[in-house]
Amino acid sequence: MNNIYQAQPAKIISVVQESLDTRFFRLTFVNKKLQKELAFLPGQFVQIGLPGWGECPISICSSPSNANKFFELAIRNVGTLTNELSRLKAGEIVFIRGPYGNGFDIDFSKDKPLVIIGGGCGFVPLRPLIQDFLAGRLSSSSLQIFYGCLNEKTLLFRKEYHLWNRRAELNIILEKPSREWKGKKGLITDLLAQKKISASSVAVLVGPPVMYRFVIKELKKRNLKDENIYLSLERKMYCGTGVCQHCAIGPYYVCKDGPVFSWSQLKGLPQAI
Amino acid sequence: MLDQNIKKFLAKLSQSFLLFAPQPLGSVVKIKPVAEIGNIDWSGAMPLNSWKEIFLPARERLFDLKKNSFFESKTDYPATACIGINVLDLKAFTLFEQVFGRDAYYQQRRRNLLLVGYSAQWPNDYKKYKVFSHNWEEDILEHLVFDIFIIQLKNDKTKIYSGSEKGQLILEKYGLKNYTHLEFAGAVKEQGPDKKMLELKEKLAKASSHKLWNELDKICLACGKCSIACPTCFCFDLFDKVDPDKNCRERYWGNCFYNDFSKVAGGFKELDTVKKKIYFWYTHKFVRIPHEYSLPGCVGCGRCTRVCPVGIDIAKNVSIIGKIR
Repeated sequence: MNNIYQAQPAKIISVVQESLDTRFFRLTFVNKKLQKELAFLPGQFVQIGLPGWGECPISICSSPSNANKFFELAIRNVGTLTNELSRLKAGEIVFIRGPYGNGFDIDFSKDKPLVIIGGGCGFVPLRPLIQDFLAGRLSSSSLQIFYGCLNEKTLLFRKEYHLWNRRAELNIILEKPSREWKGKKGLITDLLAQKKISASSVAVLVGPPVMYRFVIKELKKRNLKDENIYLSLERKMYCGTGVCQHCAIGPYYVCKDGPVFSWSQLKGLPQAI
Repeated sequence: MLDQNIKKFLAKLSQSFLLFAPQPLGSVVKIKPVAEIGNIDWSGAMPLNSWKEIFLPARERLFDLKKNSFFESKTDYPATACIGINVLDLKAFTLFEQVFGRDAYYQQRRRNLLLVGYSAQWPNDYKKYKVFSHNWEEDILEHLVFDIFIIQLKNDKTKIYSGSEKGQLILEKYGLKNYTHLEFAGAVKEQGPDKKMLELKEKLAKASSHKLWNELDKICLACGKCSIACPTCFCFDLFDKVDPDKNCRERYWGNCFYNDFSKVAGGFKELDTVKKKIYFWYTHKFVRIPHEYSLPGCVGCGRCTRVCPVGIDIAKNVSIIGKIR
């Protein structure tokens, strides 16, 4: 019988400092067959671990189109395991289980404008959606990106913004930028208030809970439907298969029924956001 | 008094199985290994502890960590017979069978388990109650997972059922050939999930701001005893034990009343008040399990009420939620 808790070794192809507190890993399974057969959707996550340090859920931040060769994770150094992971160099081994969760289907925003709203390190799972849209693999009609961050040092994926700007509208706002910052200053809701968002849009939000509350309010002002507002949630979890109960919200499990939920699913559930 | 034939059967069984059964311990009945078959409690009293200690050990080794890698731990699961499991505890076990269907460790352990259910104090003339007898088999036993089931009648006679091929083979082998075989008809009854359960699910899901939780918040100590005693509480943590000789990844019972249950790196806790913890616990029993398995998450054994140091009564609370219009 297959052991659902068996983690598989993956080799670090490359690792770079992506922002002040986040390392960017490109990984490939040591077992080449596993890598070749890897399939996932934007928004799905893996459990990454090190022997002796446990496991934690991390969203995949690369496009599924490269899945037969590699997958990428952007990991913020925030706890004991992530601190240990931050010391690793190219060629070293980590252990991976998954992918887990539901993720975004290619047609989830078919022929509708897609609005991506990310706060801080919550931006990580949004990158595959952006990459897939740019490569013509999403059926959305257009893409607006809203990204709120603390300062320049915490911005993720900076090297890719010029590519994103070609076919999408990229808007960035920083809460506490340096004096050199020429862009917008404030909170993500300030940024949204300044821009036109179509009522027919499908919005994807990833960020801290406090961001969700204010951004949803703003989107409801623009008459977006509850079922067209998607959130990706973060919770403590162990099993990844909807058994251990740590990630439960109302009738759902973040690991199995999520991490992507529509606002119509979550509205009214206590402790959802 | 139990039928002598059954005592003989158990004596033979004990030669190839490790026997566990409810036995008196002071003023209570506890499930523990059987040293003396005569010590087994057949009164039908609810044991203080639950069988989950056997089905899902409080601590179990999943992987050995060697050479910086994970190797599935080889655990010896001795042939174990659970004797005298009452109907409510079999309901909990039937739920575990759904929850841990894909769990290799549970399945390995399960293969070496023999489940012998038991129900005490039946009327001698039960055959007169056609409907009663009919309901017992079709409405209850056919929807429970067990290998053997023994019904004790008041006239010291017994009625024996087998619920699996394993049960049949054992009964035949050890000389209890007078039994009826029942085919498992699925955990959920043919007419669909229990209506009362679904009604309660709807009500509880919408009752997060009910004053009941504020009242419980004031008295509950969040000690987690209810969750430990509960036969259907199966949540767990995975933990890497670092010990120079025996590095391993373990699974151990989780507890949603403990502070680290929802604590993530950085210190944030989703369940940061007692009120939220209690509501989360009730939601698991009465919303999440019915939603996922169409089965009740509470079998009504009353253990949580019995162990609660401040007297929180689950039956009373469920009836309060049930009365919401």
